Order: sequence, then structure tokens, then C-alpha cells
Amino acid sequence: MIVDDSKVSRAILSNHLSKTNFEVVAMAKDAAEALELYKEHNPELVTMDMNLPDADGIECSRRIKAIDPDAKIVMISAMKDANLVSQGTAAGIGAFLQKPVSTNDIIDTLMMMCQQKVSRVAVLRESYAKAFVRALRQGILRIIDLKLEPTLELYDKKYLEVNGIAVIIGLTGTPTGRAIMYMTKETMKGFASKMMGTDEVTDDEANDAVEETANIIIGRGVSNINDVFKDKEMRITPPGTICGAGIRVASPKLTTFKITATTDFGDICMNVGFAEGD
Amino acid sequence: MDAKLVNPFIDAFMAVMPQIGFPTPKRTKVYLQDKNAVSRGVVVMVGFTKQMRGNVVYNMSEDTAKFIASTMMMGMPVAEFDAMAQSAISEMSNMLSANAATNLTQMELEVDISTPSLTIGEGFSVKISESQYLTVEMDLGGHPIDIAIAVDRNL
Repeated sequence: MIVDDSKVSRAILSNHLSKTNFEVVAMAKDAAEALELYKEHNPELVTMDMNLPDADGIECSRRIKAIDPDAKIVMISAMKDANLVSQGTAAGIGAFLQKPVSTNDIIDTLMMMCQQKVSRVAVLRESYAKAFVRALRQGILRIIDLKLEPTLELYDKKYLEVNGIAVIIGLTGTPTGRAIMYMTKETMKGFASKMMGTDEVTDDEANDAVEETANIIIGRGVSNINDVFKDKEMRITPPGTICGAGIRVASPKLTTFKITATTDFGDICMNVGFAEGD
Repeated sequence: MDAKLVNPFIDAFMAVMPQIGFPTPKRTKVYLQDKNAVSRGVVVMVGFTKQMRGNVVYNMSEDTAKFIASTMMMGMPVAEFDAMAQSAISEMSNMLSANAATNLTQMELEVDISTPSLTIGEGFSVKISESQYLTVEMDLGGHPIDIAIAVDRNL
């Protein structure tokens, strides 16, 4: 929930948040409305402006805390000084940001507020892996007109087993890593048939179809990340494609996530991995 | 592709390998390739972006990979190509690629490298380019390693 008396500030903030996995459930222009909407929506997080027409942000936070002691509030205001921080902290405000804020700062702060202990894995999952989930969903919808809800899980097995095709695309920038799209030969054929609108697809054409799709989807995933994090400058390398049976992809020193989109011709899988220590 | 872009990779190999326990690496063959490469057992792919784009693949048998890992770890026996050995090979590929990237900056090419992707399995096909590319065969004390280089300037 966003609490700010300025319509422009509310718009800017909700625009920042629309690029993340946070959803704005309510926007309030003053303290009275904030309390009412808080009770109605019980939001996970509140962003609070300092200057409100009917009370200041600290007083408004105090009132919210009175109805929900677990409320998580971050103050986003033009001013940020020691006095404000100490009074705010006493009122139960968990974090302070100064306007103008970057999307980066907001995400990092909100993530930290959302989790007792923000783990690196959680940040990678929310801010990076999910960008590829969205890309896969959008890409498959555009390319073969299939509406799917891909699943995302942390992948902690020693190897990724590939039987069929795997398109490997490197990620440079921050963090570095690699993204892989893989599927069985049967799924590849099914996918290529859908994409090309014919059952007469050669192996080479099917390979090319998957390679091109991987390039589009992984490229889009990286664009999704760059849209949010302006300073990460992530880029993709050209694809490398491996084909065969019983191939094991090892990922030493990577944190990897598996993304699966299930179709009636088999699973379209992705594995995205990010280097440790970035 | 521009053959000049190959030298930074050969130079990197010649410079880095002696530092990690291989005093006399040798270049045995250089040839143009237009077909997919075939895995010798362990394939490491590293991607490049910015002013030069493409992929470089280090292709070796699992025995060679174990031999290299063992040498890198001061002669510690490596019976299985396990996580530690994989990590060593991954690290070697990273060092070679980063060193090549430094050499490329001397040609006024700024490049970024991806994390190495390490794949294991014999006989699978590896496609890294739509067109011809160069493969350099190196020898490390009787152990061959192919370096397939498919890169192009991106100016």
C-alpha cells in the first residue's frame, strides 16, 4: 500500500513497483484513508510519506501499528535526517528512503522488510529468476499461442540431466551466469511443429526453432531485469546448442533455478544459474 | 571470422597453463571447422559479449579433465570427476577466458565473459556457430584439449 498526498509521487512509486513482483493493492492520500485501506487490504508492506494533510507520516505509522503491531512500514520522504529516523524508528518504521528513490533501492528495501533474514537465494529468485518465468510465459504465448503458467523452483541437484536438446546462453554483467532452455527430442519436435504450423519438420529445423526461441525468451528475461535494475547491464552471449542423450550439465558455484512449462507435447524447461559472490 | 581473434586465446593458454602446473603446453593443430563439434567427454562453454560476441568451447576427455584437475590441486589424486574436479576445470576455463579478455583489450576490444557452462557426456554434439569457426588443438603432456573459437567483432 502506498501512502502519499501527492498524486505524482503515488504514480511514480506505483510505476516503479509495477516493474517488480510487488503488487500495489491500495493507495491512500491521507492518514484517515490509510487506516481505512489498511484494515480493508491488510497489505504486506506500506510505503509512507512524511507530509500528509491530516497527520504526519510518523503519527500515521503509529496508528497503523496500533491496529497491527506486525505492520511493515518503510518511509519514503523528501527529508531524511537523524531526528526523523529516530522518531520514526520509535514509531515502528522499519526503513527510511529519500526521494527520489530508484527502483533498485525500493526492491532491495522491500525485500529486506519482507523477510526476517533476506537470503541471497530469495533475492535471486524474486528479482532475477522470476524475470525469466515471465519471459517464458510471454514468449510461449507469443510464439505458439499457448497460455501457460510456468513453475519455478530452486534447483539443488548435482547435475541437470539433458536428453534431447539444450540451448545454453551465457549471461554477462551483474550477476554473471547462464541460462539454459532444454527439452526432449519429442517435445522439441512438437514445439517446432506448433511454431512452424506443419508436422513436416526436419531435425535441423526443430533445432533451429528451439535455439531461436531460447534466444528470444532468454533475451527477454534479461531485458526484464535491465528494465528494473538500470545499473546491472546484463547481456546475453550467442547461443551454444548441445544435442544428445545422457548429457549432464554441472553447475559448480552457481545458484540455479528450474523453470518448467508443461504442455501436452511435453515439458519446456529452463534452468537459470547465477554465479556466487556477485 | 577474423583469424586475428584467435591469437588472444592461444596466448592465454600458453600464459596461464604454466602457472597452474603445466610447464610446456603445445599447439598441435589449427583447423577450420564448419560442422558441429563432438564432445570428447567434458565440454566447457564460455560466452563473450560487448565488442566481441561469440562462444569458446574447451573440449577434453574426462581422463584429461581429471589429469588437469589433479595437477591444479598439486597432484592430489582425482579418481572421480567429482564436484571438486569440476570446479577446478571450471576455474581453469574462467582463467583462460579472462586472460584472453585481457589480451583482447590490447586490441582495443572491450569484452565481458559469462560463467563457464560445464557439460559432461561423451559423443553429444555441440553447435556454437552458424558459420565456420576455428579449432585449435593443444597438448598438455600427452593430453589433448580442443579450443573451438567462434567469435566475431561486434562494433
